[in-house]
Amino acid sequence: MSFVPDPKGPPARPTDPLLEIYLERRANLVRFFAARTGSRAIAEDLAQELYVKLATRDPSVTAENPVALIYRVATNVMLDRARGEARAGAREAAWRRVAHASIGGEDVAEDVPADEAVASRQRLRQLVDAVAELPPQMQRAFRTHKLEGRSHAETARIMGISVKSVEKHISAALKALTEKLGR
Amino acid sequence: MINARRHGDDARREDAAAWVVRLEAGDLGEAEAATFDAWLSAAPANAAAFDAALAVSHAYAAAADEVALALSQRRTAPVRPTNRRALVGFGVMAAAAALAVVVAPEISGPQTETYATAKGERRTVELADGSIVDLNGGARMSVSLGRDGRRVTLAEGQAVFDVAHDARRPFTVAAGDRTIRVVGTQFDVRRLGGKVSVTVARGAVEVRPAGGASGKAYRLHPGQRLDHVEGAAATRVAAAEPAEVLGWRSGRLVYRQQPLSEVIADLNQQFVTPIRVEDAELAATPISGVLVLDDQDAVIRRLALLVPISAVRSDAGVVLRRDVASDR
Repeated sequence: MSFVPDPKGPPARPTDPLLEIYLERRANLVRFFAARTGSRAIAEDLAQELYVKLATRDPSVTAENPVALIYRVATNVMLDRARGEARAGAREAAWRRVAHASIGGEDVAEDVPADEAVASRQRLRQLVDAVAELPPQMQRAFRTHKLEGRSHAETARIMGISVKSVEKHISAALKALTEKLGR
Repeated sequence: MINARRHGDDARREDAAAWVVRLEAGDLGEAEAATFDAWLSAAPANAAAFDAALAVSHAYAAAADEVALALSQRRTAPVRPTNRRALVGFGVMAAAAALAVVVAPEISGPQTETYATAKGERRTVELADGSIVDLNGGARMSVSLGRDGRRVTLAEGQAVFDVAHDARRPFTVAAGDRTIRVVGTQFDVRRLGGKVSVTVARGAVEVRPAGGASGKAYRLHPGQRLDHVEGAAATRVAAAEPAEVLGWRSGRLVYRQQPLSEVIADLNQQFVTPIRVEDAELAATPISGVLVLDDQDAVIRRLALLVPISAVRSDAGVVLRRDVASDR
């Protein structure tokens, strides 16, 4: 019995229209995941996971708007991952709390190389300076949300303004910071 | 919803920042996601502007605590003082308390538990210390959680370890003639056909020769993979994408230039019917691609798209041969 693909049969490229759309938009989806998860590496992995999800779905299910369907599945893939990560995150934090560990009498701590430390101090200064130069309301919204980790709604409550205004302030702040820090 | 039909660099940067903020808020509906996708695709410059804004946003997210602290220490800070410093102080106290309160757990002598999976079976085991082990098919593992150490032996197969932190009880994994000491948290160990591979996803591990075996000790960091042939002194360390190596947990095998023999060794842990490759040259052929694991025939068919092979089925199993027809 032979498993060689029939030359008239399916080629190596997917013929599934949904997968075609996925492949065209893969870079966009990675950006979507990167913004939602805060990590390029996780984004790449989620894009791969999304592909597997789409490739193994029931092919009889079709959608009127395939792009919207792909983003819906993408959101689900991300939420599934987030549930698993919550546990791993707590574990990671436990490791980070100890500055270094001694295993079997051997110190396994590792220091950041000196030149890297200098570079990251300079980078930190640039980040701090850029925020300090923002107009007061914009700065307060950005600091409360991005640096103190409050949601848009909480930030709105603290500042006594609408959620819509908070979003405007934060995106104006991000635009200004990108112009300042981007080369 | 953000207007997708505006032009000019300033408007573009404004849209890019607005999209990053919309996406990070996490409540994007699918219609808005489709609009976002259309905006990105409308011009390469849109995607570049988005990447620039996202990179800045990520930079602040990564350094949020340091930036907040530095800002709060500036005398001219227009915002009310934050309580970051108080929090830092509390953190130090909590750490000191954690060091002072060391209570030995009541463990009545280490018991050895053994775990095994059938071909194609994947299983998640939560150990008594809170560590989690994902076992791939055809794996055998024994675990002994002692007062002064946690010892795991992976006799055969592949497993991902997500280790609970306990500095007083080091976590070691023995695989063939190598011992892996856990310094960090998540890593994959594979012992098949006389070869040991270790890939680190988070933290760090140390791999050293066990019980008089020859060779050097290595410390592996995230994104590094160690390959070792048992009995040999030499060991190879190379870059690897942990998400790919750990992909088997979601039913897919990802290869980048790995020999066909390694792919077959993995597949033989998944399916009862053994697959063999007799042609040594064919066995060494490098394979790159993703294999979704469902049924054996389908997997072999997909494998045949990556390397020119044909499969011959007999009572003894499946033999893969170089496909002569597609050779010329």
